[in-house]
Parts: sequence; structure tokens; C-alpha cells
Amino acid sequence: MFWHNYKYALKTLVKNKSLVFWTLAFPFILAIFFNLAFSRLHDYDVFEPFDIAVVRDDAYRKETVFAEAFGSLTRGDERLFKAKFSTRDEAEKLLSEEKVEGIVYVEDGQAHVKIKKNGTNQTVLKMATEQVAQSAGMINDIAAAEAERSGGAMNQFEIYAKAVEIVQNAEPKIEDDSHVMNVVSIEFFTLIAMACMQGAMLSTEMLNRCLPNLSHRGKRVAIAPTKKSRVILSNTLAGYTVLLVSVILLILFMRFVLGVDFGTHTWLIMALAAVGSLTATMMGMLLAVAFKMNDNAKQVVVLSVTMVGCLFAGMFGGMKIIFDEACPWMNKINPVGLITDGFYSLLYYEDATRFIVNVVSLLVIAAVFFVLSVRSLRRARYDSI
Amino acid sequence: MKNVIEVKHLTKSYKQNKAVDDLSLTVKEGEILGLLGPNGSGKTTTMNCILALLKFDDGKISIFGKEMAPDSYDIKAKIGVVFQEVAVFDELTVYGNIDYFCGLYIEDKATRAQYVEDALKLVGLEENKNQYPKQLSGGLLRRLNIACGIAHKPKLIFLDEPTVAVDPQSRNNILEGIKKLRDDGATIVYTTHYMEEVEILCDRVIILDHGKIIAEGTNDELKALAKIEEKVTIEVAELSPKQLSGFENIKNVDTVSYEDGILKVVFGKGKNNLAEMIDYLKANRIQYSRIFAERPTLNDVFLELTGKELRD
Repeated sequence: MFWHNYKYALKTLVKNKSLVFWTLAFPFILAIFFNLAFSRLHDYDVFEPFDIAVVRDDAYRKETVFAEAFGSLTRGDERLFKAKFSTRDEAEKLLSEEKVEGIVYVEDGQAHVKIKKNGTNQTVLKMATEQVAQSAGMINDIAAAEAERSGGAMNQFEIYAKAVEIVQNAEPKIEDDSHVMNVVSIEFFTLIAMACMQGAMLSTEMLNRCLPNLSHRGKRVAIAPTKKSRVILSNTLAGYTVLLVSVILLILFMRFVLGVDFGTHTWLIMALAAVGSLTATMMGMLLAVAFKMNDNAKQVVVLSVTMVGCLFAGMFGGMKIIFDEACPWMNKINPVGLITDGFYSLLYYEDATRFIVNVVSLLVIAAVFFVLSVRSLRRARYDSI
Repeated sequence: MKNVIEVKHLTKSYKQNKAVDDLSLTVKEGEILGLLGPNGSGKTTTMNCILALLKFDDGKISIFGKEMAPDSYDIKAKIGVVFQEVAVFDELTVYGNIDYFCGLYIEDKATRAQYVEDALKLVGLEENKNQYPKQLSGGLLRRLNIACGIAHKPKLIFLDEPTVAVDPQSRNNILEGIKKLRDDGATIVYTTHYMEEVEILCDRVIILDHGKIIAEGTNDELKALAKIEEKVTIEVAELSPKQLSGFENIKNVDTVSYEDGILKVVFGKGKNNLAEMIDYLKANRIQYSRIFAERPTLNDVFLELTGKELRD
């Protein structure tokens, strides 16, 4: 009976147009759009360095790592920007006269970009600034950790040199274009995480089908001489199978069709996607049993939860930095954030600690969802159906 | 005959409302029991309690001599249920749907394939077996719903309003199918608010109202409760007050009503009421276009017992 149910669950899932769109087609479409939007970032030939103003004040100088890293984008043959270092007033004047595309300034320890209108150059400026700020933050974090580890054995210069080396050497393949690779990677990583989490819809649908208080088909299953746990397990496994295959197809599509560089850790990326999909499956299960809503309402809830998770995790520009500053715990419990960070740590960290922490966190969240779902499911009979 | 179902003092409330109120019933092996009542009378709730889908406040339910519980898999294996709502998968064909639900009961593939074919034949969907539910009319969809519920050849079948919103052709097909199931030895609990179906199908009828049994018996036993023998309806274009009052003096007449050219005369007893009525019409030279007599229906029983019509 288990495999009979599993077979039909698979069949019905892959033929469900709405679910196929959200769990498979939608991430593929976004991946194509992302690729179209970001592909130019890899192609330096198409970029003409453009004018920007950088407010070089005390706040800017104080952020030495950021200032140095950002400055590197304004020097040399492959520079992205022709920077005019100036005061804030001068920079504002240049922007209002449209002599520069945007202003970069530091305020309260944070890098900001001010633009007058939207366009490709403005997008590049924003993304590059965000990425440099993120890398600078990472270098500062690593430096602090190294300083603690060395216990005074290394001086400040050595510590920062090592931190920079760790960040730069973590993934040699992307060294050359690291100033754009990071941003693009995060977008694609977040997209994979989103695809995983949207898969919660599959398990929600699967649970709906076997519980009498959630659907008429559930009533039919409930009066059959089969253990509820067995039906739920086979249905959930079918949902997980479809999700995992969808996510793996997405990763392969990104890697081999769109040419997204995932470094040398393809198998670990797949493994992380599998764990992320498991967490999403458990989330969908909990959602199905905890709330008595119709299918469409549940789909909306899953989409909303996923999109908010994506927002926190950085899919929509620099929000990740802001949320990480404001509520650092948020992305520690946000599955999208954990998956994205897991991918990121594979690229930028030498040791696997951070990756493992992310994986374990996802497994813990999945376990919590599972336990809560089972507690709800153990009520065998209902007050109303 | 053995009792297949025994329900004793079943009570089920939704907050302050008693949906089923101290209800006791038995269903005997091989019979078709009709559960008749208006919407909200507690028919479906009773059925869901019997099937252990719903918790109930009080009472005892046993099926095939054993207490029914959610994990009574041996009992469940012998039960088939056709719910009021169509519960099929849009993504599966007619054959796939029946095979899926049948597979929850029958593991052997060869047996299942035969059972699915038998179910298709029973409901007359052989030619539609490769179609998807969305390609079926409402009536055919209902037939598929029935096939999904009975394909595993259960010994006890619950049919909850299976003919709601069904065209006459499909309704006849469904009713014939149910008779065939009974002839094959199944015990059937048939829930409906269509009294005509109950009269055609059921060996015994229970009439429910507000969660209570208000009458129980065979069709004839119940009709005896209506306290009327015959109803005569006559289309009369004109009738004077004097002529109208004259009808009340005919032998055995209980009530007379005249509205919109339709005269209705109810006889409490007697055998030749129609003949006497025609004699009266002729004697008084009353012109009429149509006249017919009918026996009391279960609706009259319900009206007699509750003061309201079944479909109110």
C-alpha cells in the first residue's frame, strides 16, 4: 500500500499545474531573469567605467577595510568606477547636476548609495557597494576571530592580511571577478533557497489529501483500512521527492545552462539543498495540520513566508545587511537565510564549521516542525470535519 | 438476520447545538436502510460518527459485532463510503482514480484490476475510463464518486446523498447500481432527503429531524402514520363557495383546499374515493380538465409528524 500511495501521490503532484508552476517553473523563470540581469556583470568589456562621487570624510576613512576594498574598484585598467573623492556637499552638487551616477558615503558605520534615477549603472553601483560592504564586514569578523585565536601573537596588519587572504583564497576560481561574483552568487543561492522553501506547498498539499478535516479525499483515505502514519509518510515522501528533484534540476540548470559558478562543491550544494528541502517539507506539513484553511490560502501563506525569508536572506538587494544588523538572530532561524548562508560559507570559508552549523540548524528546525506536526496529527478523531 | 450496525444512545453536539440526540438504530444484514431527513437533521453527522471520523459525546457504536474505532482496520476493510461531496483527483483518469482508492483496500494488482473493471461496469463508465474528471458531466462525476467508494466490493456501504444535482439518466443508473449492490449481498445505509428514492430503494426507513429519530419502519408502516388514505387532485376552472363546501360532505373526506384552479381533497380512509368524487362532480355539473389520485408519501408522514415539509 505504501508504494501504491507513493506512486499515485507522485503522479498527481507532477500533473498539478499550480504546484508545478510554483515549485519548478517559477524558480527556473527567476533564474533566467537573474541571469539576464546579472550576466553583464561578468563581462567587463561591456562596462565603461562611469562617474561616481565618493564622500571621503572621517566616517569613510574610519572604515578602513571598506575604504581600501572600494577604492580598488576605482583604480587600474579594470576599474568599475571613475571616482571623484569629495565632500558631501560637493558630491550632492555633482549628483544634482547629473555629473555622477551616484554617491557613495558612510554613515553610522554603514555604506550607503544615493542615486537620482534608476538604471543599469546605478544597479551596478548599488550591488558593488553592498558586496564590498559585505566583504569588508566579513573580513572584520574573521580578523576579530583571528585576533582572539592568536592571543596577541599576530599584529593588526598580520591579522587583517590573513583575513583578506582567507576571503580571497576561499574560492580561487572566482578570485578574478570576486567583486561581482559574490553578489550574483548570493542572488542565485537565495533563489535555490527560495525554491526549496516554496516546496513546502507540496507537503501541505500532500497532508491535505490524507486528513479528513482538511479535504473530502482525506475523508476517503481516513475510512480506508490503512494506518494514517503510513499514508502520511508515503505522501510526504512523494512531496519531498518531487521537491528534491525540482531543486536539483534547478541547480543543474543554473550550473550547466546558465553557467552560474558554484565553485567546486557541487555535491555539498546538492546535500544542502536536500536538507533545505527536508526543512521545507516539514514546514509544509506543520502548516497543513496547524491551520484549517483552504488550499489556495495555504499556498499564499507558504509563498508569503518564503518571500519574507528571501527578503531577510538578501534576495532583494542589501536588505540582508540591514536585517543582520537590526536582528542578527533572524537569519539564524530563517531557513532561507540558513540555506543561503550555507552555500555562501562553502564558497568563502576554508573550514566547514559554518556550513555544518547551517546544516545542523536546518535539521533542528525540521525536527521541531516534525514534532509539532506529529503532536497535532495524533488526535485521531475530530470534533468537526 | 444479524445486525451489521448497532448504534446505542449516540449523542453528538457542536457547542450548544445537539446534532445527534440520543439516537439508537440497528441495520440488518442485506437490507437497504434509508436515513431520511431535511438538511441539518443529523444524517451525515450520524454517518460520520458511525465511521469513527467524528468524536461523539456519548453512545456506543458497533459494526459487524465489534466496537468501531479509528484503528478498527478489520472493520474498515469491509466498509465502502460514498460521500456527498465528489472526492476525486483531477490529475488522474477515471480508471486511475478508481484504482487509487481501490488500492487502499486491495493490494493484489490482478484482483484490483478486475475490481476496477467491475466498478466501471456497475456505474456505466467503461467508455469514459481514460477521461479526466474535468471532462465528465456532473452526473458522470457522481458515478465516478460512487465507483471510487465501492470498487473494493465492501459488505457494508454508506451512501450519503449520492444523487444530489444529478440528471435523471445518471440518477436512474445510480439507483439501478445500488439495487445491484444489494442483490450482490451488500448491506446499505442510504442517506438522502429525496423521499422518492427512499420509497424505490429502501427496505426500511428512519426519519430524522433535529438529530432525533421521529419515525422508523417499512414504507407501508410509515405511511400508515400519515393518517390519510388517498389524495385526489382535480383541475377545476371555476368553483362556487357552495360547490366547494359540498366536497366536505363527501364520505371519508378529511380536508379540502382550492387554490389557483387546483382542488385538493384528502381522504382519511376508504377504497373507492376517486369514483365517488367523479360521481359528485358529474352530479353537480362541475367542469374539470384533469383528475388523479395518489397514495400518501413519506413527505406526508413527515408533515404529519413535524408540521413541515421534508424540503423546507
